[in-house]
Amino acid sequence: MKKILLLAAFTSMTACSAHLPSTHISDLDEVRAAIQTSKDAGAEKCAPKSQAKAVAAMYQAAHEITDEAGYHPEEDADLITSALKYAQQARDEAKNNCAKPKPVLVVIPKPIVRYVKPAPMVMKPKPVVKVPVKPVVLEVIALEGVYFASSSADLTSASSASLNDAVTVLQKRPDIQIEIAAYTDSRGKNSYNLALSKLRAHSVMNYFTSHGIKASRLSSQGYGEINPIADNATREGRAKNRRVELHVMK
Amino acid sequence: MKQVSLYLIAMCMAASTASAASIEGRTASMESQLKGNHGYHAELARELASIASEEKYQHDTDVGKAFMRLAEEHAQKAGGK
Repeated sequence: MKKILLLAAFTSMTACSAHLPSTHISDLDEVRAAIQTSKDAGAEKCAPKSQAKAVAAMYQAAHEITDEAGYHPEEDADLITSALKYAQQARDEAKNNCAKPKPVLVVIPKPIVRYVKPAPMVMKPKPVVKVPVKPVVLEVIALEGVYFASSSADLTSASSASLNDAVTVLQKRPDIQIEIAAYTDSRGKNSYNLALSKLRAHSVMNYFTSHGIKASRLSSQGYGEINPIADNATREGRAKNRRVELHVMK
Repeated sequence: MKQVSLYLIAMCMAASTASAASIEGRTASMESQLKGNHGYHAELARELASIASEEKYQHDTDVGKAFMRLAEEHAQKAGGK
């Protein structure tokens, strides 16, 4: 009876302690290394199914290799090959899946197309190009008795009487626009004469404005030696050509 | 000595009672709790349960149970059983 109880207890303990063998056997060195590599690559997270298959195959291989019930070298080799294949697959999947974030499906809504009635075309009026109207001289008033110092735009005192008469006329005719035109004789360079005549016309204009004529009614222009009214070959002719005129403009 | 032997038998019988359910039944129970879980431990639990069934089919019941225990350990890690 004692022996029977001991045998029953031993048998029960043996069955009770049935457990899987360790995977740390030399036959599985390569498999363990491969599984560790795939695990390091993140396979447990990024390729869980393949990694699980590799580990499960390793456990099964460990059992078959150490199984005392029989020696099955072909089955052992198949399991090792299978474990290695899954470990390699897990490593490759992990490299791809861990590196790439999962694509986010972005649904782009279709644009709402609404018919918008086009605004009626409005023809822009062509811009009016203002063509400057060349002023027309309506009347020429010769200002006799206006003198300048030689080669100068300074009015002499003798000019005052004539200029004051002109001021009186301009005050009586407030509606007219006046161009003050100055001329020279033909002696000297044309450019010099032109510049001198402009300065002299401007001197007369200053005289008028200083005597109450609005500058807005006045303009000055030097013409130089052009449009002579007398012979520049004579002294009298040149004296006539050195003149100031008031052009009444339209 | 007699008492010790009886105690050991009783202990192992109690322990085996916990795993008295069939491997198929434990697998089904485990699978229902792991439904929708495709993490590493869940997948490993399924693989080990499959091996357990295979071993049992080959009449290696003790090894089948050992694989099943291991499967349940991983199922527990997976948040299942």
